[in-house]
Amino acid sequence: MNGLLEIIDKDLIINPLTSAKRDEIIAELVDLYARRKGLSPAQRDEALRAVIEREELASTAMEKGIAIPHAKLSFLKDNALVIGVSRIPVDFGGELKSRIFFLLLASADKPSEHIQILSSIAKLCSSDVFVRLLSSAKTPSDVYQLFFD
Amino acid sequence: MSDTFPFRRILVYLDGSEASLSAAMYSVLLAKASGADLHALYVVNTKALQDLVKARIFVSSERSEYLADLNKDAGRHIRHIEKLAKLKGVGVTGQIVEGLPSAQVVKYIKDHSVDLLVLGPVNMIRSRREELTSESDRMLRTAPCPVLVSRDDEKLWQMFEE
Repeated sequence: MNGLLEIIDKDLIINPLTSAKRDEIIAELVDLYARRKGLSPAQRDEALRAVIEREELASTAMEKGIAIPHAKLSFLKDNALVIGVSRIPVDFGGELKSRIFFLLLASADKPSEHIQILSSIAKLCSSDVFVRLLSSAKTPSDVYQLFFD
Repeated sequence: MSDTFPFRRILVYLDGSEASLSAAMYSVLLAKASGADLHALYVVNTKALQDLVKARIFVSSERSEYLADLNKDAGRHIRHIEKLAKLKGVGVTGQIVEGLPSAQVVKYIKDHSVDLLVLGPVNMIRSRREELTSESDRMLRTAPCPVLVSRDDEKLWQMFEE
């Protein structure tokens, strides 16, 4: 089964993010995925809408400045992860502001893998040291490398 | 069954991935060749679901939705191995349980006196971080019986079609 390390893609990391509002950050992350993977405009819009609708239910902002926006998409064959790091803390709808964003676009066909990946992100981000290193990463490459240490 | 085989009861763990299909095929062939009883187990990872709700990554409606998805996936994988086994004239006892996969597999092995665990291909070790240890890795380390790790190669497909 593909785990977190198998789906991390160097080309799907934004550091630093240029947006500073919740929906704009989600759009920045979704747009990178849409460009890299050749989504149609309709698919891109569907992904964006699904993630925002999920955030409306309850914010995925957690402790330590992490947020994990996600949605299940019927047209996706494989699970995909886009990571974004913001230089400034952003109000993502939670009690605390967020700086690190893991956007998980989930395939409806692979629920077990999706759960495993979300669970790994949550476990990893429970480490203060890891989160501190992630926050201080300067480039997408720095972010990518941290996962493989 | 032949007395020459060191195992009488094989358990194959199905994790819902494409990779575990090769484990299913391998275990059916092994059961056919050895005459051992074949058991197939899918563990719905309710521990991870609980953790995700606790971390507020999932809301309760998502937990219910994913629980239903995982149960559906489990049923699909169990039906698939039943079909494979039938093709080869082998019986299989399929079961779906809930909990932490590695713990449930160890429990099943003990409860059913399993003497061989078959797993699908395991991922390369790409990080030293303990948090990223997969459930299959944990099974390899904690299973109280020998473990066979299958490979998804052409030879397996050929063997199955023979």
